[in-house]
Amino acid sequence: MRKRTLRRGLVGFWWLTLTFLYLPLAVVVLFSFNAANSAATFTGISLRWYRQLLGNEQIVSAFVNSMILAITSSAIALVIGSLIGYGMYRHRHRKLGWLIVLIYLPIVLPDIVFGISEMVFFVRIYDLTGLFRPGLVTMIIAHVTFQIPFVGLIVYSRFVGLDPTLFEAAKDLYAAPVKRVIHFMLPTIKPALISAFFLSFTLSVDDFVISFFTAGPESATLPIYIWGAIKKGVSPEINAIAALMIGAVAIAAFLSLLFSQRRRT
Amino acid sequence: MAYTGVTPSARSRGMVREVQHLLFTVAPGATWILIFLVLPGAYLMGVAFMTNGPYGQPQMPLSLESFRRLAGFGFLGWSPGNLYTLLRSLWQTLVSTGLVVIVAYPVAYYITTCKEKWRPILLLLVVVPSWTNQVIRTFGWMNLLAPGTPLSNLAETFGLIAPNMGLYPSNFAVTLGLVYNFLPFMVLPLYSAFEKLDNAQVEAAQDLFASPVRAFWHAVFPQTLPGLLAGIVLVSIPAFGMYVIPELLGGGKGMMLGNLVANQFGGGSNWPLGAAGAILMLIATFIGLFVMRRLGKRLGGGEEVVI
Amino acid sequence: MTITKTTLALSLGGLLLAGSVQAQENKLYIFNWTEYMDPAIIEAFEEKYDVEVVQNYFNSLPEMFAKLNAGGVSQYDIIVPSNYYVPRLIETGLVQKLDKSRLENLDNVMAQFQDPDFDPGAEYTAPYQWGTTGIVYNTETFPDAPKSWSLLFDPKVNPDHPFALMGDGQVSMGGACAYLGYGYDCTDMDGWREAAQLLIETKNRGTFSGFTDGTPALQQLARGVTHVGLSYNGDYLFFKDEDPETFENLDFMIPDEGAEMWVDSMMIPAEAPNLDMAHKFIDFILDAEVGAQLSNYNYYASPNAAAVPYLDEVLTEPPVQPSEDDMARLRFTPSLEGDALQTFQQLWSEVQAR
Repeated sequence: MRKRTLRRGLVGFWWLTLTFLYLPLAVVVLFSFNAANSAATFTGISLRWYRQLLGNEQIVSAFVNSMILAITSSAIALVIGSLIGYGMYRHRHRKLGWLIVLIYLPIVLPDIVFGISEMVFFVRIYDLTGLFRPGLVTMIIAHVTFQIPFVGLIVYSRFVGLDPTLFEAAKDLYAAPVKRVIHFMLPTIKPALISAFFLSFTLSVDDFVISFFTAGPESATLPIYIWGAIKKGVSPEINAIAALMIGAVAIAAFLSLLFSQRRRT
Repeated sequence: MAYTGVTPSARSRGMVREVQHLLFTVAPGATWILIFLVLPGAYLMGVAFMTNGPYGQPQMPLSLESFRRLAGFGFLGWSPGNLYTLLRSLWQTLVSTGLVVIVAYPVAYYITTCKEKWRPILLLLVVVPSWTNQVIRTFGWMNLLAPGTPLSNLAETFGLIAPNMGLYPSNFAVTLGLVYNFLPFMVLPLYSAFEKLDNAQVEAAQDLFASPVRAFWHAVFPQTLPGLLAGIVLVSIPAFGMYVIPELLGGGKGMMLGNLVANQFGGGSNWPLGAAGAILMLIATFIGLFVMRRLGKRLGGGEEVVI
Repeated sequence: MTITKTTLALSLGGLLLAGSVQAQENKLYIFNWTEYMDPAIIEAFEEKYDVEVVQNYFNSLPEMFAKLNAGGVSQYDIIVPSNYYVPRLIETGLVQKLDKSRLENLDNVMAQFQDPDFDPGAEYTAPYQWGTTGIVYNTETFPDAPKSWSLLFDPKVNPDHPFALMGDGQVSMGGACAYLGYGYDCTDMDGWREAAQLLIETKNRGTFSGFTDGTPALQQLARGVTHVGLSYNGDYLFFKDEDPETFENLDFMIPDEGAEMWVDSMMIPAEAPNLDMAHKFIDFILDAEVGAQLSNYNYYASPNAAAVPYLDEVLTEPPVQPSEDDMARLRFTPSLEGDALQTFQQLWSEVQAR
């Protein structure tokens, strides 16, 4: 008996938590269709805010910037991070304490300290040399910096999970290191690479603070645009962009579910 | 290197190659982090020891003025503003982390009790909201808690807020925003701790102890400690340095350390003071990490404590 | 092995190169207040000079100043600060002198704007628009609102309706000073201290909803989030024209204790990438018809004498042109420097923190 009430309580709590998690997002989506400019009353369904989005060049360019930033930084981080992950695995018996500290640093550093450090640094370097003009380039560099550790750790743990004799076998099969990389390493860690890329991409899209501090006049991303719009006070339009982004995330979630299910079977 | 008959020179050549390999794989990433994070961080630390110029730009000579300012000493004698901010940050971190723990335990446990094929889906359901951008999630709460919304009206009838006001902006809204933002970060490590749990042991405990609370406390809780500690690290460190949520949901009343720091690089224009604030934040972060690590080791958590 | 290394180095170099090349295209970067520029003017300028205009926006002067300090000085060609930030921009070397030989339309500027206190001889500035900061309030909530700062600072006048103060500390502080009888443009220690105290008490009232910048304050009022706030006369008219229904119940008022009058000027940052276009743009705005078009769009008073014949009628009456009585009570926000600025920053951060 006691067990059943406990169970019921748990189920109830679960649904309550789900409501808590999805209510704000649902409200954003709902009010993006609101005919009136109000956060409190819903007067009817309308697409007027979406229509307003279409004609807005800034939003389109913010979207393009977000995509360039996320894809480029994830790709660079994938290369550098995989290397470091493999290096950590191959040399895991050495004393690599300093490396571990270095790798964890971007993860534990508070966003705001991270972002401001980059900003102050890039501004100074630009003053001195004329390089690193704040813009997409500086943003990509900053994003790669916080993506490397995550890629490294994912790839590392994939290698750790492998049977060590596999490496010996590969060594016998492919004499040339390049061939070994192409025919053995890459295929074996492919799932890790895919999920590392996906995680890097998500981290990049999710980031606001670091982008905000490293951005230049032409490199506003969607989150930066939305932040500006909130600060400016134009609300219904934000609902529409935010709803679109929530939609994209929902699709991504669905795809990742399909992907993981397929891998399971 | 196990086979015999290798000449010393070949072995040392092997060593050289090993080191080369290590450098080749590790150096790009390590250099990248050194140049683009350690160096900027060090430079920021340096700024903290500079003097604030007449219009808020860092200048020579070196001084400890910014730390004095951070402690509240200035032209007007001592004032408590920054102390308020610090205490508010600590309080918000404490309360929100506590609430996150309270919510995450049953959720993580519930997921482990479900059929195995459902678990990834349920976990995904918890995690997906955090894939949307932080700014959007916070904006959702701005919508929900604004004046005139059902939640605000409810709070008003209970006399919890001033008439015609919303639940946002307020310190309460900031706490709520923090809990919302960080809940998945606690559920994930707790879930993996629960998953490793021996179910038979739990069942036995449930029979052994008089109440489910005691069963939980004596049989379940100790085994989930590593997960809990990992979760606390993942939640409390970013919560302490939070900028976006107090800025959007606090409405000028909920300023936290992150805002103090950011303001010095924004309107407040005092880079050295902001840098000093960043140092304070770093110290707090490292103390937090250190304490958690020690606790984790003592409680036998082992490696997984930090992430 | 080395192949990957070189690719890495090459791609990094490519990134850097892309970063520095970006600046050399024919573009004009404008850093302006939100809702302050007629898109048609930008289009006309782009067409006339075959240039791409990139606009960025700020909501407050502290925000603008911070961005300029953090690298903006070499990213923007035109900035549009208000009077009290001009001296500190000049002092810090963030702006450069205008080349008046390139500004043919400079004579169009009204006499009283040709030699302003904040920039003697107008070496660095060309006037853009001028206006006032006043109290915007809901006439349904406050049918008999006093023409006074007490609507914000006296809990007896407004016991239970949400209100916002200005995000720019100097304006909020000035309001508190005016309410306390020290005058809007007070800078003495006693006045400031008392004003800061009043601000701390005010922000801790249950109905205080935040420090909001001028333009968003209007959005909050329109959506009923607040019932009183601080904003600018032109923005008020601009949004009223856009949404007359909502703004019917909102009114703009200059309190009798005095309030802010400001002049926004066009300036060129010290390391502006496109000096030539920057001057062309300033001259374009100073043109009689373009100047009038700008005022007709954003509902602010024009400092351009030649533009007057082309102005809409609404621009010749209050609140765009304040009544003579109000005009006598308007003050410029004081330009702070040195110890006064540091003291102010400290008081203001105290207000924000408590």
